[in-house]
Amino acid sequence: MNATFNNRDPVYLQVVRYFKEQIANGNLVAGQEIPSRRELAATMKINPNTAQKAYKEMEEQDLITTERNYPSKITKNENILQSVREELIITAVESFLQSIRPINVPIDELLRIVQEKYSKESSKEGL
Amino acid sequence: MIEVNQLTKKFGRKKVLDGVSFTANKGEITCLIGINGVGKTTTLKAIMGLTSFSKGSILIDGQKINKNMYEKVAFIPDAITMLPQMTIKQAMQFMQDFYQNWNQERATELLTFFKLDEKSRISELSKGNTAKINLLMGLAIDVDYILMDEPFSGIDIFSREQIADVFASHLIEDRGVIITTHEINDIEHLIDKVILLDNGIVLKEFNTEQMRQEEGKSVVDVMREVYQG
Repeated sequence: MNATFNNRDPVYLQVVRYFKEQIANGNLVAGQEIPSRRELAATMKINPNTAQKAYKEMEEQDLITTERNYPSKITKNENILQSVREELIITAVESFLQSIRPINVPIDELLRIVQEKYSKESSKEGL
Repeated sequence: MIEVNQLTKKFGRKKVLDGVSFTANKGEITCLIGINGVGKTTTLKAIMGLTSFSKGSILIDGQKINKNMYEKVAFIPDAITMLPQMTIKQAMQFMQDFYQNWNQERATELLTFFKLDEKSRISELSKGNTAKINLLMGLAIDVDYILMDEPFSGIDIFSREQIADVFASHLIEDRGVIITTHEINDIEHLIDKVILLDNGIVLKEFNTEQMRQEEGKSVVDVMREVYQG
């Protein structure tokens, strides 16, 4: 649980975002237990009320399920998990497009550069 | 809830508090920020009943403050109040003898949390460790509210981090905390509510997450607006 937060977006939404990333990259899987609100607050160094709010938000988005007296778990609904991944990809691509569009690069050239850079970065991280 | 209503306090002819009103909830961390000097510590002392005030009222869970406030509220001053020749263990014993609501289990846990040795003498502690012991003495008392005066001032970055970690931990439980500070960087993510004071008046009171959500502003952004606006 290592996340850095910016100061201008609500912290609870940044926590939700962090969980979504962990779901998208496979670190968190269907049905997996997640830390208690207290544990999350302590490891992420955030206010326990914020952790509580983040979990409530994730429950409302059906990302996690909580039964009384049991730790919360990542949903087992594969459709939801799949759509989390898609959502993150689409948002990232859209923000990329927004910044690249004014430069007016031909799509072939753009794709070639993306491919080169992407595989270089990935091999640097040892993926 | 701690309710401060129209609190006014004069030192001679100078008003250090001029109609200060705010609330601090249980289970939340409220931060009293003031750029220049006066007002913050006086407010905390007034809540503890340690200083008189000329006008206004203070209610704690609906009750007027009285001489038994120490059973409900703990005050952690910015300087150590223990005798320097005492060891940490002796200082804890002293607290235990004085406070019926001293929680030795939590005290021991805090000692481990801060990685301190109970055999150390108060006089031998670094500034950072002194601040931690100060905090320990207050947090180990079973009360509903804790008032901390400048817990971060004048200490090294790692001690500040450790102290900030306490706020995110179970050691605070669901108590209400009021902190005074003029440095916000270490705790921006940790606080629920901010009260901006200046020259004895409240310039702004806001919830941090709400501010981020509704206006996209950090605590420092708001401070810049309010104090330099």
